Amino acid sequence: MAVLTIKNLAKTFNVGTPRASRVLDDISFDVRGGTFVSIVGPSGCGKSTLLNIISGVEEHTSGDISLTSDSGGPARMGYVFQDPRLLPWRSVMKNMMYVQNDRSEATAGRCRKYLEMVGLTKNADFFPGQLSGGMQQRVGIARAFAVEPDLLLMDEPFSHLDAITARGLRAQLQDIWAQSKKTVVFVTHDVVEAVELSDRIIVLQPGGRIYEDITIDLPRPRRQTDPTVATLQAEVLGRLEAMKTLSRTPSSAAA
Amino acid sequence: MSTTTAPVKARRSTTEKQQETPEWRKRLTSDSAARVAALLSFFLFWVLMSALFARVPGPVEVVQRLVDEFSRGEVFGNFGSTLYRFGVGVALATVVGIAVGVIMGLSQLGRAFFESPVLVGLSIPAIIWSFLTVMWFGFGDLSPIVTTFLTSVPFVIVNVAQGVRGVSRDLRDMSTTYKVPLSRRVKDLVLPAVTGYVAAGIRFAIIIGWNGVLLAEWFGGGGGVGYRARWWYDANRFGGFAAWVVLFVGFIVLLDRFVLDRVIQRAFRWRDASA
Repeated sequence: MAVLTIKNLAKTFNVGTPRASRVLDDISFDVRGGTFVSIVGPSGCGKSTLLNIISGVEEHTSGDISLTSDSGGPARMGYVFQDPRLLPWRSVMKNMMYVQNDRSEATAGRCRKYLEMVGLTKNADFFPGQLSGGMQQRVGIARAFAVEPDLLLMDEPFSHLDAITARGLRAQLQDIWAQSKKTVVFVTHDVVEAVELSDRIIVLQPGGRIYEDITIDLPRPRRQTDPTVATLQAEVLGRLEAMKTLSRTPSSAAA
Repeated sequence: MSTTTAPVKARRSTTEKQQETPEWRKRLTSDSAARVAALLSFFLFWVLMSALFARVPGPVEVVQRLVDEFSRGEVFGNFGSTLYRFGVGVALATVVGIAVGVIMGLSQLGRAFFESPVLVGLSIPAIIWSFLTVMWFGFGDLSPIVTTFLTSVPFVIVNVAQGVRGVSRDLRDMSTTYKVPLSRRVKDLVLPAVTGYVAAGIRFAIIIGWNGVLLAEWFGGGGGVGYRARWWYDANRFGGFAAWVVLFVGFIVLLDRFVLDRVIQRAFRWRDASA
């Protein structure tokens, strides 16, 4: 498990040019090991940029970011993207092995275990093009868990899927997470999804600042049909509506 | 007032259309028919030209000269020499071209370093290389091999570098996130992604390279198809000259169709896989 600490983080694109735009501003939070944290907010508020900075794909302009692993070694990260990002010319199993540290039999066994957890054992030798979108995304999830990450990043992984497939995958994700208890940072614009999955929700507002940090204290496993889940979802949605109204008023915009 | 409506004609499915098309029409409109038609047109054009102009040898004369060359025992030795030189030159160009192309595609610094030499290489024609290599290396195997290599390697480099630069940004970011080692990225991500570009590069290498090998043999002597073609040219016997050209061009076409095409099809079998 890992602890992620972010302090006064800021990101500006095109620094020093007339097109400079600040997408993240003074972001500070930490994520304790074994917790599931969602980052929600409207489109363009910097959610995916924040995830890319945590993963190392993007560099931050100022502030500090640190990831410490229990093992003492460098923290290992898994990433589930919006689209599956599989190598189309490699089989499912080879895609799983592509991101592993080593090619040992033990590693292959671990990959098979996670493929089984997402119900794709029989498809191990298929090319990604032979799978449906939902199945490809399941491979993406299995791949991320199979690297045994200290920190798992997920960027709107169900946004491109139909409602029924997404619901099934959310349930599957909850089951796998309950068994592995990985530290997860999950980006979504879907508040309903965030309440169902998370221990904590960090709300980003337009301009890339943290608006609110909400703790979700509900028993697991959670299902959308559960009345307590539905009530909390409505409450969080209400707070987001309030944020939107605030950000539209001229006085708050000036502030 | 009464209205009349025209009967709605049902649209036919592709299966119905397929079943209704007569067999002879399917054959006449097939890809193979188009290829045969192209060959036939070229052949007729050749026959016509040879009938009109005395200095254009016709197909019969060319075949006769080829048979003569076989009976004299000139074909296998000379053709074998050319094939060896051409094969080594193209193989070297492929290996070096892929390596330099990958470096140019992956690294900005590599691109800056190799860009000008490759541009110079592209602009030097095969005939200049053949003169230079004959002056440098004399009349052995080395000058045609080096000429083939030098004329074809820039085309492989340019194609591969272009392919590498086009590798999906998403897949590169995914590899960065998972800290995939560079050697594995090259083997599993970059090379399969640029297979099409590599194939196009090798095709160019073959087409440009055979010019190089023939010119080096033409000027350098030392046996080979180019040397033999020149022998007939000097003797003012165009039939013999054309026989060697036809032999080598035929070989290149067969190599492309039956070897390179099949290798490419195998490399792209994942594309045929669909949900």
